[in-house]
Amino acid sequence: MVPAEEIRALVGHQFPGGEYTIEHWENFLLTECTGADLLPDGMVHPVALFHVPILGSNTSIAEMFALGQAEADFSIGIESYVWEMFTPLFENVHYSISGRVTEADRRKHEAGHTYDGIAFQFTVTAPDGVDAARCTITWHYRRGLVT
Amino acid sequence: MTDSMDSSDIKLGDAIPEWVMPSVLRERMRTMAAILRDPNQVHWDPSSVERLGFGNRTINQGPLGLSYMINMLHVWQGPTSIRRVYVTFPQAVLDGERAIAQGEVSALREDNGERIATCRIWLDVGEPGVALEGTAEVVISE
Repeated sequence: MVPAEEIRALVGHQFPGGEYTIEHWENFLLTECTGADLLPDGMVHPVALFHVPILGSNTSIAEMFALGQAEADFSIGIESYVWEMFTPLFENVHYSISGRVTEADRRKHEAGHTYDGIAFQFTVTAPDGVDAARCTITWHYRRGLVT
Repeated sequence: MTDSMDSSDIKLGDAIPEWVMPSVLRERMRTMAAILRDPNQVHWDPSSVERLGFGNRTINQGPLGLSYMINMLHVWQGPTSIRRVYVTFPQAVLDGERAIAQGEVSALREDNGERIATCRIWLDVGEPGVALEGTAEVVISE
């Protein structure tokens, strides 16, 4: 099992950061996946607040799995998502995105198994410098599933 | 999918008109996985889910289940009304399931001239029970 100290040392890890522009095709397909109609005036469906921060900060789901030394893809569970929406997102706007690890610790589930809880926080900033959204993803990395 | 509600009448304990996803579709999970660059097979390869004991199914992405509750809130108070959502995931949503987003007003406050409702929200998938649950802060339209 990965040493708990290695997990705790992830706190403060910064992703490279970068930019992301949500194009119409992407918003169209994402919105259709949610079962909703397109929002008015090029507004982006909030479902984008999962992958846009991840990809825009120049990381990936796969890299986040690897960062926490996931034993397998299926060993990842979701603890919670927090999406704070300060202003709506719009298509074809160049957002700046930063991301970092804010929590990482070893825990014992009430069912008896061991897991590491890792929280990633991303900030999406509009071209005028105003934060548009902040998203916190907390995943469980279950240990001891793969022998 | 829902009925509108007169915003001026909103009070503690009010139920939010539910929003229904009649059947969670495998094809939509695959589209999401491609856009998200999500390598997790449970969203697109049913054989991987079968090995986990859930049958020949695929598991819906967490953000999609969350989006059903966002759709409910959008229909209720408009597409710019949501300030914050917090959601936990007690159990998986599988393809073919009927998912019903539901909620109720648990607190009301004034903030910078806006009327904010704190809402308890959840996603019911029938016999398995509640798959997602959490809270949302929503600006009540005048």
